[in-house]
Amino acid sequence: MPTPPAIEVCGVTKRFGTVTALDNVSFSVEPGELFFLLGPSGCGKTTLLRILAGLETPDTGTIRFKGRDVADLPPYERGAPMVFQNYALWPHLNVRDNVAFGLVERKVAKAEIGSRVDDALNRVGLSGYGTRMPGQLSGGQQQRVVLARALVLNPPVVLLDEPLSNLDAKLRVEMRAEIEALHSQSHITFVYVTHDQADALSLASRMAVINAGRVSAIGTPLDLYLRPPNAFCADFLGEANIIEGRGHKVDFAGTASYPAVAVERDPPRDEQSRTPSRLEGPVPPGPAGDRAESKVETAVGVWMVASQVAPGATLRCLVRPENLQPMGGPAEGFNTCEATITGIRMNGPTVTVALEAGGLMLRATLLTQQGAALRKGQQGLWGVAVANTVVLPQ
Amino acid sequence: MRRLRFTTWFLILAVAVFLGVFLLWPLAHVFARATRDQTGFTLSYLRNLFTNPIQIEAVGMSFLIAACVTVTCTVIAMPLAWLFARRAFAGKAVWSGLLLLPMILPPFVSAVGMKILFSRAGALSTLMMNLGLANGPVDWLGRFPLAGIVLLESLHLFPILYLNLVAALGNIDPSLEEAALNLGASPVRVFRRVTLPLALPGMFAGMVLIFVWSFTELGTPLVFGMRRVLPVMIYDSVSEIGTNPAGYAQVAFVLVISALGFWISKRLISRDRSVATLGRLSVGRKEVPLTRTGTWLATGFLVVVLGLAVLPHLSVILLSVSRRWFLTVLPQGWTLEFFGRALNSDLTREAVLNSLGLSLGATVIDLVLGFGIAWLCVRKRVFGGDWLDALSMLPLAVPGLVIAFGYMGCFSGAFPNTLLDPRFNPMILLAVSYSIRRLPYMVRAAHAGLEQVSTTYEEAASNLGASPFRVVWRVTLPLISANLLAGAILCFSFSMLEVSDSLILAQSERFYPITKAIYALIDSLENGVNVASALGVWAMLLLGAGLLWATALMGKRIGQMFRAG
Repeated sequence: MPTPPAIEVCGVTKRFGTVTALDNVSFSVEPGELFFLLGPSGCGKTTLLRILAGLETPDTGTIRFKGRDVADLPPYERGAPMVFQNYALWPHLNVRDNVAFGLVERKVAKAEIGSRVDDALNRVGLSGYGTRMPGQLSGGQQQRVVLARALVLNPPVVLLDEPLSNLDAKLRVEMRAEIEALHSQSHITFVYVTHDQADALSLASRMAVINAGRVSAIGTPLDLYLRPPNAFCADFLGEANIIEGRGHKVDFAGTASYPAVAVERDPPRDEQSRTPSRLEGPVPPGPAGDRAESKVETAVGVWMVASQVAPGATLRCLVRPENLQPMGGPAEGFNTCEATITGIRMNGPTVTVALEAGGLMLRATLLTQQGAALRKGQQGLWGVAVANTVVLPQ
Repeated sequence: MRRLRFTTWFLILAVAVFLGVFLLWPLAHVFARATRDQTGFTLSYLRNLFTNPIQIEAVGMSFLIAACVTVTCTVIAMPLAWLFARRAFAGKAVWSGLLLLPMILPPFVSAVGMKILFSRAGALSTLMMNLGLANGPVDWLGRFPLAGIVLLESLHLFPILYLNLVAALGNIDPSLEEAALNLGASPVRVFRRVTLPLALPGMFAGMVLIFVWSFTELGTPLVFGMRRVLPVMIYDSVSEIGTNPAGYAQVAFVLVISALGFWISKRLISRDRSVATLGRLSVGRKEVPLTRTGTWLATGFLVVVLGLAVLPHLSVILLSVSRRWFLTVLPQGWTLEFFGRALNSDLTREAVLNSLGLSLGATVIDLVLGFGIAWLCVRKRVFGGDWLDALSMLPLAVPGLVIAFGYMGCFSGAFPNTLLDPRFNPMILLAVSYSIRRLPYMVRAAHAGLEQVSTTYEEAASNLGASPFRVVWRVTLPLISANLLAGAILCFSFSMLEVSDSLILAQSERFYPITKAIYALIDSLENGVNVASALGVWAMLLLGAGLLWATALMGKRIGQMFRAG
């Protein structure tokens, strides 16, 4: 039998009064992963993290650490130190004593505590700060102390609750790199909660996207970004043009599509939650894989998609703005449409072009040099590669 | 988890038993005895309060004193509160500290000084004879005992009303007043139509507090020799507690009046909070600086008020450093020997040691109970927590007089000749009664501390492996230590000078606390008054230092400790 997952969450539900914070949530985290729980504020991700830490009790469901059921363990016996969003550095203890806290509770010998605290402070670049009080540290330094306080225990799992949300933009980027380095050096399993998709996309080994208390998708950042299973996920992980369409009546290639292989649009609710990710469900082919193509009627014309679609079935296609580009003319392997530029916004390295096509508002992102010549009001042909026209299965 | 739950329930049980035995049982006993005779339930003893001419006189006099004190306090505290809540002037911080000073000595000790100043052979009478304004000695106190009592109690209690008023004015959202100005009301109209109506609930609440406290004040009328006042009549009836139920009826009546008063003030305060603030204060208040003339006027007023308030204290101090003050304007025979005697004679040394031990005991009890109750209410939100909280605030509404009388009645009968029998040895009951009386302050201090400390600190500790006990020990207690210390200082200082419980419960000299020793010394020969004064000065220094220390720890929040709600 392979080693059990570091963390297994199975069917966890949590209600606060009439509000369902978590609804039948399940996922598992492999040892050593940097696993993200990503979702908008209020989606229940912090509650989930607190349940893992034992600070909340789930109404139903089980939590296993390395195969061991920990649901009945109080927080102080879970051994899963947490990095709190507001740091929670005890103001009456200096940096050393803050970091040493957990070791003292574990009754580690004094000499060993000293050397381990030194080592931990060193790892986060704060050696020499031991006698400072938390109030004398900057936000970034406080964040490092909290990390040291967790890592000094050398725990199997570290839980991080929006650790970067209180830092300014520049410091975020620095700390992000530092957390990644600390993780890769330590082989500790990290569970990282955030609402910032940039954190998740850049750091995660895998991630679970949470929406309104449910797991919306699980997968690697690349998979979920390129082939999101649903519109929420597509929209939350980046900018998205969602184009509604309907399977074309007559198959172009003459190979009739059968409903049996059609993409499920609205599966029953419980089925949806049981197979949250298209990557784990009945998977349509990836971009480079199957050659199966179908025609889809959309508001901007008949488009090709790289998956099988039942005739007459309604569906939604995702086109990332960076994949939409101006075309000299129709080209093989591209879906095109006539569009009018309604606005241009400079972002620095890129420009965002607002387009109107067949009554739809679309966005395209171009490198600034490519978009320099474009003007508001211009009409022209815009296109996206068929491989990048992604059918959303749900 | 199970251990925690067990601890929680144990704590609830312990608190409930303590408050049940030492607070509720005596009160229930008082009511039971007040409404029962050989045949069963009766209201005749209570009815007697309003039919017997002596009792009517006592009840009437008590109400009169309370009403006069309340009015006098309001007249003094109103302008002060407005001045300190709305205006900036030189020396404001120092003055606001000094304003708490009048609280530091129980008025009955100041009464000793007053007697010297205003008696037949006192300073005023002598001064007037020397100046040819009077033909013979005039006993000002004998002529106007009521005025003396009212003045002393007012000068002692007005800081409490002042603190309540400052809070009431500070709670008013400045934008409400600015809106009135903006719509064309003159500052005077703004005060009459906006500020005053909004501050009224808080003001009334403070006034009710003053009313109740002066209604139940025992020491001052006792020293002035006024026997026909309810508290003194109750004090006198302690000796016949087993046989005469009249005392019980009087105590029950006092208890009803004060409980009613506190209920009213609590209602007023809760309305105050919902009306006067629009959630968060929308703009910061800026204090208008006083003009030069205004500053002079304000300073003059403060000097007069504080001067009056300090006058009795001053005369106590003068008494303590002089041998004779008889038919002279100023005392004669300067000496420091009484300070030594105040600590050396058997009676006083024992009294000081007793008071220190009792206050220490009361403070320890309060620390444990106060933190326990606040922790149960704020952190555990246990079922019944609100009841515990309300119960722990009940002593605010129960005068020391009532508790002490109840203890005499209950424990003497139930545990004769044990350590719980006040006639046999009142020490335990004295410490307990002190602690019960000051419990609300400690609960409030701990409550405020716990609400300021984010639970995240405790969660982080738990998360890093600290058991519930260890979390409390290593994180919660250190984080609220300033609040607990401030509460403890207040408990200790006020216990040192607790009057009515001490006068009633300590029946033999061996067990006299400081206040009872002072009371005993006043009437004793051989410069007893001077020794009593010296003892009073020691107490004054102690309580003053305690108040200042607590204020330094709690900062502006010290006012909350004395608020009505």
